[in-house]
Amino acid sequence: MNMTAAPPGPAIRVEGLNFAYGQGDAHHPALFDVALELPPGKLAVLTGPSGSGKTTLLTLIGGLRTLQEGRIEVLGRDLAGLTTRELVLTRRDIGFIFQMHNLFDSLSATENVRMALELGDRSAAEVRSVARDMLERLGLGDRTGYKPRSLSGGQRQRVAIARALANRPKLVLADEPTAALDKDATLNVLALLKQMTIENGTTVLMVTHDHRIIDLADRLIHMVDGHIASDVVLDSAQRVREFLKSVEPFSALNPADLTGIVEAVTERHFDAGEVIIREGDEGEELFLIAEGEVEVLRQDHEVARLGPAEFFGEAALISGAPRNATVVATEALDAYVVRKGELATAMKKNSRFREQLGRFLVRRR
Amino acid sequence: MAALDLSLRLVPGATVPLAWRNLVADKWRLLRSSAGIAFAVLLMLVQLGFERAFFDASLAAVRQLDGDLFVMNASKYRFGARDPFAHRELGAIRAVSGVASAAPLYADWQDFFWTSPIDGKPHLVRIFAVDPDQPPVFLLSGIADQQSLLKAEGAVLVDRRSRRFLGMDGATAAKLNGQNVRVAGNFALGPDFMSDGTVITSDREFARLTPGNRGSAAALPIEAAVAKVRPGETIAAVQQRLSAALPSSLMVMTKPEIVEFERKFQAQLSSAAPIFFLGTLVGFAVGILISYQIIYTDLSDRLPQYATLKGIGYRNSYLVRSVLAQAALTGVAGYVPAWLLSLAVYRIIRSVALLPLHMTPQLTAISFALTLGMCLLAGALAIRRVIAADPAEIF
Repeated sequence: MNMTAAPPGPAIRVEGLNFAYGQGDAHHPALFDVALELPPGKLAVLTGPSGSGKTTLLTLIGGLRTLQEGRIEVLGRDLAGLTTRELVLTRRDIGFIFQMHNLFDSLSATENVRMALELGDRSAAEVRSVARDMLERLGLGDRTGYKPRSLSGGQRQRVAIARALANRPKLVLADEPTAALDKDATLNVLALLKQMTIENGTTVLMVTHDHRIIDLADRLIHMVDGHIASDVVLDSAQRVREFLKSVEPFSALNPADLTGIVEAVTERHFDAGEVIIREGDEGEELFLIAEGEVEVLRQDHEVARLGPAEFFGEAALISGAPRNATVVATEALDAYVVRKGELATAMKKNSRFREQLGRFLVRRR
Repeated sequence: MAALDLSLRLVPGATVPLAWRNLVADKWRLLRSSAGIAFAVLLMLVQLGFERAFFDASLAAVRQLDGDLFVMNASKYRFGARDPFAHRELGAIRAVSGVASAAPLYADWQDFFWTSPIDGKPHLVRIFAVDPDQPPVFLLSGIADQQSLLKAEGAVLVDRRSRRFLGMDGATAAKLNGQNVRVAGNFALGPDFMSDGTVITSDREFARLTPGNRGSAAALPIEAAVAKVRPGETIAAVQQRLSAALPSSLMVMTKPEIVEFERKFQAQLSSAAPIFFLGTLVGFAVGILISYQIIYTDLSDRLPQYATLKGIGYRNSYLVRSVLAQAALTGVAGYVPAWLLSLAVYRIIRSVALLPLHMTPQLTAISFALTLGMCLLAGALAIRRVIAADPAEIF
């Protein structure tokens, strides 16, 4: 997880934030002494029961509500010190993915995206091409001219996401952005967000209860009753380690060997329909499925389907023979990849691991 | 497409014509709102058309007068009211240097009754009388060229565009103030809001038919002397000489002045102007209410979308421009059918009421400006709702 040239200073800094709705008898405090600091290029997930202040915090950071007490800095700007006009301009640097997508029914999908792009200083031709590219990236290339009314809920949600991300904002604030999305679309959106955090240094702060996202988060912030109850920094090594411990033969590894493998693991994304390994090729890698599903084909006949926490590609590594099957992603797939060398080292060191892996091999046949 | 360009230009650099798209998003709603606004526009167009027709009809006779200078009693407050001066002044007028001719025009609006061959009842008509031996007093063909026919006793010319119940069109003989007259010819002038029909006679016939007047034509009081200026003389110079030579009880007007004199009376003293003004105002007010309702409903339905635009960084000024552009387009969408419909309505009124009701560029411009004004005003009133939309509420 490298990050390219990050701007200095945190993307979000919140200090001593208190906020209450209403006045007098209707006075209803929503946030108490909230403090938070998010570095650029991170994906942070905000969880918590409803009414815990998540959305209030998002709207305050997004400059959509007037600050009452405390300090919020967004992309290096102190929100309290901004004029109304400067605040509006600051909001242009933020990609908002609202819970309600609120697309104009009168505009086509691409025109809805263009509404956001026109806030930038792109030429009309660029605005058109960026909007089209963005929708294609989110799997809506054949729906650009459709009005929201003729799109499904998930497609509308993706148009709204395209609108929020089209300007490649430095900060994305999202409220349950994948609620209406199926698994493939969710993975697609996550891949896009993740790519933006890496390439663009975008910081994403997202309210969600979707575990597929939480698994990929760099940061997990949990709110209860207007307080931040926990704020955990997750690194990818830790996430891979947790994952491997849940997969049976790897759970037999001692911590030192596990660390050896974790350090060698790389994450890789495959699109639906992509061939991951081909029967007859030389085997160099082992694949563990984090998210998604594959089918295993021998002589063009399906022999198995594998899902999350299952793995494939080990046979050729152990036997040294060519691949004995073809594996194709049936949907968008995120996999952890272990190279032959590291696996061999682990097997050499740990006989129990070798036995268990061998047993799997037998069972598969 | 012109409307599309308009809405694009109102938001410079935009590739999305939001106002136009919002207008045409729902065909049925567009039809309903066009019909509502068209109704108000039609109200205004009919009132404005009536007002114009009223002035055109009222001024038709004066505009047809064939003279450079007109001498009338200074106490006259309008052309169309009887206030004659002594016949002998005609000699004084003719004696002024630069005057080529001065023909007497006699007129009466209250004492002449035409017995209609249709219902056999006497109806009040307007009467003009001329001296057939003098140069013509009216420009209108049918009068100027048939003036000599009036030399025969009992001969009259009638207006074939008079109201139908007078039966003047096609009549050959009738009774005027109970006496038999022969229709020697006709002309086309048209009625106004005061007179249903017009009859032209010779001065002798006028004297004969005037109730209680048994005097000779030579002693008849004159309503207006219609003078022509010698070639080489300026009208203004002769006007000055006439004013100096004549007693102060007489006034001297040029053709534009006498038309303006009558127009001013209709506009400022008669009850017509306020009636048509109020009628137009009612149409305008109804239009504001209808277009406010249309625009307000449309904005309310899209409030979350507008709030979202504010949330992602659009300024109020964009929203104001977009909403006003949409209001203007709504106005245009209502104006076009109303304008077309008014042509038919004008045609009907023209044939039924015999009023000179015509669509003119001026009428088009005024009614279009009123329509735009009414929709923009309604848009400006409704826009508060968008300005007040809170983007935090939609997160």
